[in-house]
Amino acid sequence: MSASIEIAGVSKVYDGGVRAVDAVAMDIRQGEFFSLLGPSGCGKTTTLRMIAGFETPSAGAIRVDGSDITHVPAHKRDMGMVFQNYALFPHRTVAENVAFGLRMRGLDKVTIAAKVKAALAMVELSGMEERRPAQLSGGQQQRVALARAIVIAPRVLLCDEPLGALDKKLRQQMQFELKQLQKRLGLTLVFVTHDQEEALAMSDRIAVMNGGRVEQVGTPTEIYNQPTTRFVADFIGDTNILRGERAGPNLDVGKGLMLALPPSEMQGTGILSIALRPEKIRLSPRGDAPIAAGSSAHGIVENTNFLGGAVLYRVTLEGGHRVLVQQPNAGTSRLFVPGDSATLEWTPADLVVLKD
Amino acid sequence: MSTAASQRPNGLALFILPSALLFALFFFLPIGLMAVMSVLTGNPVVMPKVAFTMRHYVRMIDDPFYLEVIWTTIRIGLVTTLVALAIGYPLAHWMARIKSRTGHALLLMAVLAPMLTGIVVRTFAWMTLLSDKGVVNQTLMSLGLISQPLKLMYTETGIVVGLVHIYVPFMVLTLTGVIGRIDERLEQAAENLGASPFRAFIEVTLPLSLPGILAGSLLVFALAISAYVTPILLGGFQIMTLPILIYQQISANFNVGFAAALGIVLLIISLILVIAYNRALGLVSGQRELQ
Repeated sequence: MSASIEIAGVSKVYDGGVRAVDAVAMDIRQGEFFSLLGPSGCGKTTTLRMIAGFETPSAGAIRVDGSDITHVPAHKRDMGMVFQNYALFPHRTVAENVAFGLRMRGLDKVTIAAKVKAALAMVELSGMEERRPAQLSGGQQQRVALARAIVIAPRVLLCDEPLGALDKKLRQQMQFELKQLQKRLGLTLVFVTHDQEEALAMSDRIAVMNGGRVEQVGTPTEIYNQPTTRFVADFIGDTNILRGERAGPNLDVGKGLMLALPPSEMQGTGILSIALRPEKIRLSPRGDAPIAAGSSAHGIVENTNFLGGAVLYRVTLEGGHRVLVQQPNAGTSRLFVPGDSATLEWTPADLVVLKD
Repeated sequence: MSTAASQRPNGLALFILPSALLFALFFFLPIGLMAVMSVLTGNPVVMPKVAFTMRHYVRMIDDPFYLEVIWTTIRIGLVTTLVALAIGYPLAHWMARIKSRTGHALLLMAVLAPMLTGIVVRTFAWMTLLSDKGVVNQTLMSLGLISQPLKLMYTETGIVVGLVHIYVPFMVLTLTGVIGRIDERLEQAAENLGASPFRAFIEVTLPLSLPGILAGSLLVFALAISAYVTPILLGGFQIMTLPILIYQQISANFNVGFAAALGIVLLIISLILVIAYNRALGLVSGQRELQ
């Protein structure tokens, strides 16, 4: 049965004092698709390896369904793992690879054969039993690795950037299939990735990590719409980050630009950073009418980046700030070209106040 | 690679010439001469009238003494290889997996250091250890564990001890290269699937390192059966091996033809092993795809 995982203040310090993971705490719920997202070196893989039992935490505890497994050796943890390079046994056939975990559990041959057959059917690899890993494509190897990990009905499935080596089309297909499989089997799945789009698309919840610490834990929409730290706002998608000093209900970001703060943030003094997503800004041709102070500005389009479904503009405001603006390619409105004068408008409530 | 590249005369190919000449002059020519000598009645340089004969080979088969020598040689080679493997594999595994660079350098030093001393010197060192009044026997007797000195010198055991000491580095270096190329994540994958570290080693690392085991064993066996100095010094002519016999035939009996025939037998034993090695490597075919 799938299990919940509790990571309680876990740190990993390597010889030489490198803190790969620093006081990480999170609760992964039963049956949840949970992603560890961050740039390389953020500690996400080390965290996963500690859950798997390949690394021992320097401090803290890991609990599965409430029982402490911090010092249980890897082979007694009953967790499935899909490795980044799949780590298939090159000297064994596909069927032998999938059967490995069942064999270690001492199951009889008939049961093993039936389970292997079912697992290979589930990942649509029936008929490939006698091939060796080197005779398979990357996508097929990935499926074998997945079948090998889930055939043992693990309490938790751990995935270390399992789709990293696949090309984009195949990757999207595998994302879809993995997500479907996870939901169907009700698996608790911990997924390590550096790809924010992948994490947003697949996860129930995401932990964004940076420098060995957890920056924010939340659902994909929370992470995207309400980033709490500057790092999260910057790492997930494109964003405009402005820093300034509070001046009453406004934020003075310099160069003559004042931003009206959202209603909930009007109190207080001091320095503040805010994030504003490019797609939350509306762009229109510059008119003669006066504009609302604090929620609009004039600017010149510097360059355009056509994304297909949308267009990303880099606009220089009159005071000199440069901002990104994304407009849907709706077809009704004229597209802007570099050199166009434009008016930018936004809603103060869309500004997200960040912790540094 | 494209066929165009292989057909175009390549200037770099000239660099093979020195080694090709060296091989032809000092390898194929002498072996060819040896093969010819082994089927002649005498030395054609000093005896103008020589004829073809198989009598050297017939003598080997007819006289159980010579068969016994051949068997002793092979036995010493086998035991040396097995002991070198048993000692070398754990060491090689340790070297291949050690994380610390300093640790790796120290281990490599330890493996290579004995090779800085000549074989003769090292063999004499073993004589002072193994002889009746040597360090080993004196220590055991003073501890009261034995009353008579153990016969360590002038036995096959003594020869094997000396040979293992000399050839273990070859085994270790060959194995370290192969084990080092096995992805550690394969062992972790096995452990993740429920194999204890020992089971993971047996199921994954050991079969994947088989080519290294075969290559190292082949090397050590070939070196051990052709060793001369160590069997002479530690065996004291009481244990007869093929190389010693060949030397005696040339220097004492002046029977160049018989010595050549013995040399050919030694060569054939090695050749059979190389062929068997290639066959065995083909059987563990999963390994080829890995590389």
